[in-house]
Amino acid sequence: MKTILFLLLFFPFAGGLLLALIGRYLPRRVAEGVGCLSILASLLMAALAFGTAGEKRYLLTLFEWIQVGDFSASMSVYYDPLAALMALMVTFVSSLIHLYSVSFMREDQDYVRYFCYMNLFVFSMLVITLADNLVFLYLGWEGVGFCSYILIGFWYSDVVNATAGRKAFILTRIGDVALGVAVALFFLLLDQFSIFAINSKASSLTAGTATLLGLLLFWGAVGKSAQLPLVVWLPDAMAGPTPVSALIHAATMVTAGAYLLMRLFPVIVLSPAVMLTIATVAVLTGLFSALAALAQKDIKRILAYSTISQVSYMFLGVGAGDVAGGVAHLVSHAFFKALLFLGAGCVIQALHEEHDIFKMGNLRQRLPLIFWLFLAGAVSLGAIPPFGGFFSKDRILLSTFNHPGLAYKTLALIGEVGAVITVFYTFRMFFVAFLPRPSAPQGFERKDLKISGFMQWINLPLAILAVFAAALDFPEAFGGNAWLSHYLASIPGATAPFPVSAVFERSVEIGSGLLNVAVLVVAYFIYRPEGGFLGWPSPAALRENLEELFFHGFYLDRLYQIALVRPYQKMAEILWSKVDEGGVDHFFEDMGAVFRLSSSGLQQWATGRLSTYLKMLLLGFTAMVSVLALGWYYLR
Amino acid sequence: MIVPYGNVLLLAVILFLMGAACAVARRNLLMILIGVEIMLNAAGLAFVAASLKWQGMDGQVFVLFIFAVAASEVAVGLALIVYSQRRTGSMNADDYNRMRG
Amino acid sequence: MTLYAVIFYVLAIVALASTLLAILQRQVVHAIVYLILSFLATALLFYLLGAPFLAVLEVIIYAGAIMVLFLFVVMTVRAEPVRGTRRETFRQWLPAIVLGIVSLCVGGILIAQVPGSKIGLTVGMATPTAFGRYLFKSYWLPVEIVSFLLLIGLVGALYLGRQETKPAEEKGENHP
Repeated sequence: MKTILFLLLFFPFAGGLLLALIGRYLPRRVAEGVGCLSILASLLMAALAFGTAGEKRYLLTLFEWIQVGDFSASMSVYYDPLAALMALMVTFVSSLIHLYSVSFMREDQDYVRYFCYMNLFVFSMLVITLADNLVFLYLGWEGVGFCSYILIGFWYSDVVNATAGRKAFILTRIGDVALGVAVALFFLLLDQFSIFAINSKASSLTAGTATLLGLLLFWGAVGKSAQLPLVVWLPDAMAGPTPVSALIHAATMVTAGAYLLMRLFPVIVLSPAVMLTIATVAVLTGLFSALAALAQKDIKRILAYSTISQVSYMFLGVGAGDVAGGVAHLVSHAFFKALLFLGAGCVIQALHEEHDIFKMGNLRQRLPLIFWLFLAGAVSLGAIPPFGGFFSKDRILLSTFNHPGLAYKTLALIGEVGAVITVFYTFRMFFVAFLPRPSAPQGFERKDLKISGFMQWINLPLAILAVFAAALDFPEAFGGNAWLSHYLASIPGATAPFPVSAVFERSVEIGSGLLNVAVLVVAYFIYRPEGGFLGWPSPAALRENLEELFFHGFYLDRLYQIALVRPYQKMAEILWSKVDEGGVDHFFEDMGAVFRLSSSGLQQWATGRLSTYLKMLLLGFTAMVSVLALGWYYLR
Repeated sequence: MIVPYGNVLLLAVILFLMGAACAVARRNLLMILIGVEIMLNAAGLAFVAASLKWQGMDGQVFVLFIFAVAASEVAVGLALIVYSQRRTGSMNADDYNRMRG
Repeated sequence: MTLYAVIFYVLAIVALASTLLAILQRQVVHAIVYLILSFLATALLFYLLGAPFLAVLEVIIYAGAIMVLFLFVVMTVRAEPVRGTRRETFRQWLPAIVLGIVSLCVGGILIAQVPGSKIGLTVGMATPTAFGRYLFKSYWLPVEIVSFLLLIGLVGALYLGRQETKPAEEKGENHP
């Protein structure tokens, strides 16, 4: 088992290292092969581990990393059902995305750098997934942050992309600080870096300490998962290549925050205040991003805001105490969001880098396979029963509603509103982009780029999984076996703490299912091809202002620019010109000037004239004799 | 008894310094050489006085050598002066300042 | 105050005065003549101080050969003395005078400190015979070396002083 887990981590790392060192000298196909095979091998390992582990848990040390006195940070892994499932999902989705990338990046000459960093990213993500030691986890945490910075700004020659990468890095860094403090605090309080040990000893923490630790962990998760208030980097991060968006911002990195909270759930659950904070922020983020998605025109931005919204549901799951529900949504979200992003990538490439959904149209004739695959993803995202995301999202909302306290009930209702808006914007996107439009070309146009079948067919596994993700956790109330819940039963927080009656559960689910379908129909009527109506059904003035507001993400980004970024830049400028150039440089220039002046002063003596030198000789002679006399006088 | 030893030395010192002043202050190359000669002469005087004081002949021998060296030095020095006068046409020490810097 | 002391002081004054006049002359020839006078006085001083052989040598070599050599060069070169302003002359002489006076004071103090300087010099005489014997007995090696030195000086002076029959570019040494 130890070997399997070691290899699981080793293959992506080795792939990345190999590409970094000699990737340039390998033929293109070989380099791409290395990149993909390493992830596929890792997938194999993950499947093996999943198969052999069953319900057992493993705490293994792979490598003694740092050992200084009392301080010991080893590369140890804690392989429990949660980690097993996550590792399997990460490797599976990553392999598919890597294979997709081979085709997507076929025109790009920089493929070595791409695959190298993708591999390193997968390695870091797997470290986060499996790590037991918090310092080791922090290594992976930073690793994903760094790799996402590189990959978002992959086409860095366009400064917009580089800026987006930098923005992502800085904002996640703000969260990482809190995580670092939390790790240090854990060591201080519990003398432990091991997640397993911390979870066992969690009950020894006081409520106040647990609140502090919970809030710090939450802030770290907020940064990585792009929740309020550190949310503004994710829409801009769409500047990267689409497979990058699929991997990082749909399936893996943004879920790392929720995953961290799930791993350290015993600590967080000790503090009701933290739980409520998590749930509240999650719901607000969900609503915020759903509304913003409603007004976007760029297909990738819609998907980005939708990611923020779906991840907030995972956080809501944690906040309500239902970790299994969060995991279920995490897994199904990974499948359908990756599918949606990859499908969007196909569309964008086929239409010559067109991102605006209002300029697409009639993709059923132009890209028939993508049409159906994207539809599969859309119904999963929109939580249309009985497909993918419906059961997991509803389970979370149900757990929230069942949680005692009026606050939770309110949050559940707002969450439901968010879910409704989700359906609406999802199908707005689908209908506007894919259905025939009067302005769009009919049939296959010669100017459309022919994209490879491989690129399209690779999405099929994802589509199948997305659609049938419901089968993972079909609730018992409807006669399913709830496999996921049973699988995860051993991890803390797995069972919903507040069970409900089956009748209640059934009725709620049926009700919300019907509601979703109804909204879908409404969306169809508004955005159907003959309708020709591309805006909102509301009074004109209100619509315009609201649309602007939502389009700009409630101007949150602009607020940050004015309040934080500009003063900081001003200060940096002043420090640069006055202190660095003025002070430090000036100081060194003056020091140099001292030498220059003294040298030019001395230069006056070097006249080259004999008389001067003879004068100097006589002067020297006089000086020597004087010194001699003085010495003699004093020594006498 | 002639004079106290110190007096002779003092005379030698004064002559020496006069020679030094001549070498330092005059610009004409020949005058500079003359200053050098005066200095050598003064040194010889001091040696002879010392020889008499210590009642040995070593000082006088040394003076002989000083004469010999002074003679050859003057010969070569004057040859140099003549040569450089032919090259540059100037006997002024200030004009020879190509080593300036 | 013995006779010897009187002679000494007279000769000393003559030497000092003539040297002083020598270094202050504008014309080089005048300076040389005064200097010859100074050397003569010095030669007599040598005789007084018990070195007759050296006194003769002083007259022959120093006053005779060296100064005559100077005169020859002066005649060959034929440079006009440069007339400078009073202020320039003063600026030339000032450092020398200052340093000279300082050195004189210091030197005087030094000489006065040495205990041996109060001792009077006794009369003595190194006859040429005794001198010659002593020279070739103890100092024969420096004599040989000095003769070698004179040869080198001769060769050097000959080489430097030769007339230029070749073009100037071929001489590469000793540029002023």
